[in-house]
Amino acid sequence: MAWNEPGGNRNDNDPWGSGGRRGGDQGPPDLDEALRKGLDKLNKLLGGKKGGGMSGGSGNGGSSSGFGAVLAILGILIVGYVVYQSFYTVDEQERAVVLRFGKYHTTENPGLRFKVPVIDNVTKVRVTNVRTAESQGQMLTQDENLVSVDLQVQYRVENARDYVLNVRDSNQALAFATDSALRHEVGSAGLDEVLTEGRAALAINVEQRLQNFLQSYGTGLQIVKVNVESTQPPSAVQEAFREVQRAKEDEQRLVEEAETYRNKVVPEARGRAQRMIEEANAYKEEVIEKANGETARFVQLLNVYQRSPSVTRDRMYLDTMQNVFANTSKVLVNTENSNNMMYLPLDRLVGQRSNTDSSSAASSSDVSGSNTDIDQLTDQVLDEIRLRSNNSSVRRGR
Amino acid sequence: MSPKAVLGLAGALIVVLIVSSSVYIIPETHRGVLLRFGELIETDIPAGLHFKVPVIDQVREFDVRVMTNDLPARQYLTIEKKPLDVDSYIAWRIQDVDQYYRATGGDELNAISLLSSRVDNGLRDEFGVRTMHEVVSGQRDELMEKLVTRIDETLIDELGVKVLDIRVKAIELPQSVSENVYRRMRTEREKLAQEFRSRGRELAEGIRADADRQRTVVLAEAYSKAETTRGEGDGEAASIYADAYQADEEFYRFYRSLTAYEKTFTNKDDIMVIDSNSDFMRYMENLQGTGANR
Repeated sequence: MAWNEPGGNRNDNDPWGSGGRRGGDQGPPDLDEALRKGLDKLNKLLGGKKGGGMSGGSGNGGSSSGFGAVLAILGILIVGYVVYQSFYTVDEQERAVVLRFGKYHTTENPGLRFKVPVIDNVTKVRVTNVRTAESQGQMLTQDENLVSVDLQVQYRVENARDYVLNVRDSNQALAFATDSALRHEVGSAGLDEVLTEGRAALAINVEQRLQNFLQSYGTGLQIVKVNVESTQPPSAVQEAFREVQRAKEDEQRLVEEAETYRNKVVPEARGRAQRMIEEANAYKEEVIEKANGETARFVQLLNVYQRSPSVTRDRMYLDTMQNVFANTSKVLVNTENSNNMMYLPLDRLVGQRSNTDSSSAASSSDVSGSNTDIDQLTDQVLDEIRLRSNNSSVRRGR
Repeated sequence: MSPKAVLGLAGALIVVLIVSSSVYIIPETHRGVLLRFGELIETDIPAGLHFKVPVIDQVREFDVRVMTNDLPARQYLTIEKKPLDVDSYIAWRIQDVDQYYRATGGDELNAISLLSSRVDNGLRDEFGVRTMHEVVSGQRDELMEKLVTRIDETLIDELGVKVLDIRVKAIELPQSVSENVYRRMRTEREKLAQEFRSRGRELAEGIRADADRQRTVVLAEAYSKAETTRGEGDGEAASIYADAYQADEEFYRFYRSLTAYEKTFTNKDDIMVIDSNSDFMRYMENLQGTGANR
């Protein structure tokens, strides 16, 4: 588990690690040495000028005047050192926890602060900067699946006094508690939930649970934010999960293809329907207009007919018959049962005739030309008729 | 310097030495006990400045802050005999300094190992009566609370230690079981994938069927409408004809027949067999036209 400690003040990490030097570690460590060196130099200097009374020595005997001066300077330096030791600064991002005779005395805010040397013990704690801790690993979900979760906790020291005095190693406590809270919450959620929409809720739950733990231990830590950085199925099953993803896309694709089909077929059908209806409308208009036209013609004719019926009638009849007969081959028969139009299977005979007389296609339909085929045909017709009516007088016409 | 002064200085030094060795400070984070010839004569000494008899008295101080210790991962069986690798930690602190000193000699490692074996036993018992599901999801809090109370009762008396919390960091499946889980997870996913694809086909089929239905219905409706319209046309035309023709029905039949003849015989390939007695031929036989209509 990686713990990201902010660099800088080593006191933050383990304020009690150097318990033996308590109270002595506030000043620069080389000060004593520097002092001693300075004193040595001074001693030599003064020793060399033996007998030269200085203003520093007051009423000293000649032999002991040097020693007295040294004592005085030593005194001044000690006083200076003590004064120097009595002040310390607290940075803007720090709070200082002060113990007096071992007992908690006060927590100091940033600025220049005074302390009683030896008696007061000051521990500075960075409180404003946000620290991070991470927890990751594979864990069980509620439905007994495995999931890999990567979580980052951002926190800071909220209460410097608790941080220093209540828990021996708050950062380790946080690390353990994070592991526990994360696995608890993942264990209370289903796999799909953890992987998808439940991630935000997971972060919130872990944060609450973690905060509760930290509070109950009195760590003085405050959770700023819990980020669930990633939730993934274990690598051994990731391929299967991707396959599901692909299947989802396939589903989408199939639906879209079908919709494409629908968008093609239905409008086309509507178009065809429109055409059918329009055609019907056209038919309706046409039929009606034809009726109007035909009846108008009839009415006109009727008017003429009513003026002179018989003449008109005869003229019409003859005109029509003339047209009809002019366009058809004719066989005239005279049978007992008059006024009967006879129907004979002539079309077949005509077909045979056309085949045998292929040399002149034009004359084959020319009924007026005296043609042996026609004669032959007529004979056949007459035979047929004779068969049908024995007592008939049949004559051959053109 | 006079010998007197030297003597004074030495005296002062001795006094300072005696005072300094008879004064001790217990910091806020610690509690102390005072031993005189190995006997506990002052217990539970709070933070602050205290005095003792030099040389004779000895002070032992103990860190009473909350400590968290990782307990070694162990394998436990659930009620259904499923093995689980459990990694836990314990949050504890020294509550009764005297008892703690008596029980452990002030040795923290010793204390932790005692704690650890108790927690181990407790966890084994608690896991043994629960299913894996209960352990993993539902009853973690409950399990831990029970364990803490049970262990705590004895520990205060015996070790002078207060257990604040026992938490499971990780409950993991042994490697062999993990393989089974992976297999199951894969199968589940395959099932799900199949479901998606099948549902896709189902939806697609539904959409196509709906489209086909719409097409059929639209066309049928159009057909129905078209036929109705045609019928209307036919009806109206018929009524127009009827209105016109009923003025002289006989003439109409005549007129209509003529039209029909004309339309029917249009091809020279048609052959007509005509009775010579027909009206058309009435003058064929004689001028009076009596042949046909005799």
